[in-house]
Amino acid sequence: MKRLAIVAAVLIVLVAGTFAFAQTDCTKVVPPSPWGPTDQTGATNRVTPAITKAAGAEIKEGKVIPMSYPLVDGVPLFGTRFTKTILTATTLAPGAALGENQLTYMEDTWLSQSHVGTHLDGLGHIGRKDCYFNQIAMGKFINQNNMTKLGLEHIKTFATRGVLVDMVKVFQAAGKFKGNAACKKPCLDKGTVITAADIQAGLKMYNASLREGDILIIHTGWGDLFEQFPAQNATYNGGEPGIGKDAANWLVGQKIVAVGNDTWGVEVIPGENPKEAFIVHNILITDNGIHIIENVRTDLMAAEAAATQRSTFFFSMTVPKAVGLTGNFVGIEGIR
Amino acid sequence: MTMISASPAPRVGCRRCAARRWFGIALLLTLFLWALTPAAQERSWVVAFANLTEEPGVTLEGTGFTGRDVHEGFALAARQWPIDLVFYDNRRDPQRALANCEDAIGRKVDLYIQYNADAGANTAVGRQLRAAGIPVLAVNYPVPEAPLYTLDNRAAGRIAGDALADFGQRVWRGKALLGVLIGHLSPAEEGASQRAQGVSEGLKRRLPALAMVSLDTQGNTARVGELLGRVLTAHAGSKALIAAMDDTTALAAKAALEGTGRLADGAIVGHGVDRSIHGGMSDRKELDPNNRGSIVLGSVAFYLDRYGYDVLPLAVRMLRGETVPMRTVTRHKLITAANVFIEYPPYDMQ
Repeated sequence: MKRLAIVAAVLIVLVAGTFAFAQTDCTKVVPPSPWGPTDQTGATNRVTPAITKAAGAEIKEGKVIPMSYPLVDGVPLFGTRFTKTILTATTLAPGAALGENQLTYMEDTWLSQSHVGTHLDGLGHIGRKDCYFNQIAMGKFINQNNMTKLGLEHIKTFATRGVLVDMVKVFQAAGKFKGNAACKKPCLDKGTVITAADIQAGLKMYNASLREGDILIIHTGWGDLFEQFPAQNATYNGGEPGIGKDAANWLVGQKIVAVGNDTWGVEVIPGENPKEAFIVHNILITDNGIHIIENVRTDLMAAEAAATQRSTFFFSMTVPKAVGLTGNFVGIEGIR
Repeated sequence: MTMISASPAPRVGCRRCAARRWFGIALLLTLFLWALTPAAQERSWVVAFANLTEEPGVTLEGTGFTGRDVHEGFALAARQWPIDLVFYDNRRDPQRALANCEDAIGRKVDLYIQYNADAGANTAVGRQLRAAGIPVLAVNYPVPEAPLYTLDNRAAGRIAGDALADFGQRVWRGKALLGVLIGHLSPAEEGASQRAQGVSEGLKRRLPALAMVSLDTQGNTARVGELLGRVLTAHAGSKALIAAMDDTTALAAKAALEGTGRLADGAIVGHGVDRSIHGGMSDRKELDPNNRGSIVLGSVAFYLDRYGYDVLPLAVRMLRGETVPMRTVTRHKLITAANVFIEYPPYDMQ
C-alpha cells in the first residue's frame, strides 16, 4: 500500500510537472530584448552615466518636490490587496529598556502586497500567456516565493531626467476637457484616452521634448481622488484616464525608461477595446521592458511646471533590490 | 556681354526650377502624409443616438442590460472615432421618439441612430430624417429603408440549446432527460418566442426525442422556485436541461435546484451575460474561472453593453459614403467559466 502511494505520488508529480512546463514558444509571442538574449534589465539599460550626468543639469535650485503618496491604511486598494504595518517589538514596557543608557527600540513588520500605493511595475509583472519580457517562459522561473528571473534586483538605476506633461491643461486648451465631479481639482474623467498627439501637445506646452532615457510623468488630475481616500476609493478604482495604444507605441519609439501617472494603472480604463486586458502594460512592459509607475503624486510638480514654465526635473527614485519581486512601492522626488 | 548676360540667365532658370521642384516635393510629401493619416484629417461628425429607454433599472430585450449600459457602451466606443455623440432618450414613447428626431434635425446632425420599438414612430422618424437628408441606422427594430443592426434571438437560443444538448449527451448519456425552458416567455415583443424556438431547435437537433416543458414566470423571478420545483418533483428520475431566458432566471433556477437538493440533477444555460452573472477578479460571480464546476454551464452573450462598438463602425462607414449591409447581426456566443475573462477581461487589479 505504501509502495502504491509512493508510485502514485511520483506519477502526480510527473504529470503536474508536465503541465507546469507546458509552455508557449515565446519567440513567437514576445519580441527579443534589444539588449541581448540574457537581458533581464530592460529599459533601465538606457540610464548610462552620461544620461545621469545630463539629468543632473536639471538641478538648478535644489528644490525637492515629493511625488509619492503616503502609504497608509485606507488608500485605494483593489479587492483582497492589503498593506498593513504591525509594531512587532517594543522595549517601552517597564524594565525592558537595555543597559545603563536605558536604550529602547521599536521595530515593525510590514505585511503588504508589493503593488500598493506609489509603486513600480517590474518586468516580471506582466506577460502574454506564460511569456514575459525578452521571451522568457516564466513558467520555468517561478517558485512558491518569487520569480527567479526578471526580479527587481536586475533593474539598474532610475537616476535620469523626468519630464512632466499636464494633460488637464492640454485637454482644457484643446477645448475637449471632460472632468469628473468627484474631483475637487480639475481631473480628466475615467475612460479619457490620452493619445500620442496629446502627449506631444503637453511637451510643447512647456517647450520640452523627450530624449532617450527619460521618464515621462503624466498629470491627469485623477490622483485627486486618491488623496480623498477612503471616501472616493470606489470612484478612483472604478476606471481612470490614461494612455491608449497609440500613445504607448509612440513612447516606445521615444526610448524612454518609464512612464508614470497619478492613476492606478497608467493606461485608460475602460480600455479602447473591451476585449483587450491592460494592453498598454503588454506593449510597454512585456514587449519593450519599459516600466510603469502607478499612483504617482503629480499635482505638485504640475503646479511647479505651470509656475516656472519648466517641466523637466531630476527624477530620484530608488527601488529595493528585492530579489524576485514583480514590483514594489517606491519613494519618488523630483529635484530642480 | 552676351556671355555675361547669358550666364546668369540659366542660373535664374535653375533657381526657378529648383523652387518648383522643391514645391513639388513638398506638395507630394504633404499629400503622402495626408494619405497616411486619414483619421487625423477626417472631419468630426455629429451622430445622434436615440436610446430605447434610459429609465434606471429598466432592462432591455429580455436581458439584464439597462439603457444606461447601452448608453455607456456608445460613449466608450465613440472614443475611437471622430464622432461627437448626441444622446436622446426615446423613453419607449412614440411621441418622444418623434420629438427627439425633430430636435436632431434642428441640430443638423450628420447621422441618426434610432433604437425604438414602435413601428409607426420608426416609419415617421425615417421619413422625416430622409426629407432632411440625414442618414438613419436602426437598432433592433427596423426603420424603413435604413440599415438595421440587430440581435438574433433565434440564433442565441440555438446556441443555448446546443450547449445543453451537448452536455446532456456527454454527461448524462443513457439517463432520462427533460428539456426545461424557463423565464418570461410571454412578453409583447416577439423576441422571447424566437429565443424559445431557438432553444428548442438547438436541443432537438441532438436530442430529437427530448421531452420539453415551458415554464412562464411572466417576468416574476420569484416564481422560478415554485415552477421548477413542481416540474422536478413530477420528474423525480430525470436530469433537467434548463434554458433560462435571462441570467437572473438562470441564477434563480440554480438556487431552486439547491433548495430542493437536486443540484446534481440540472444543468443551466442563461441568456444575456450581464453583470449579474459575470464579474471581475475580486467579485466572484457565477461565471468565473474559479467556478468551473458550476451547474450554470454558461450564458449566451447579447453584448448590449457593447452595441456602440458594433454600431458606430457601421455609422462611420455610412458617413464615409460606403455601402453597409442592410442587416448586421450580433455575434452571439456562449460564455462559460473557460472564456469569460477573455470575453470580459476584468480590470479590478493593479
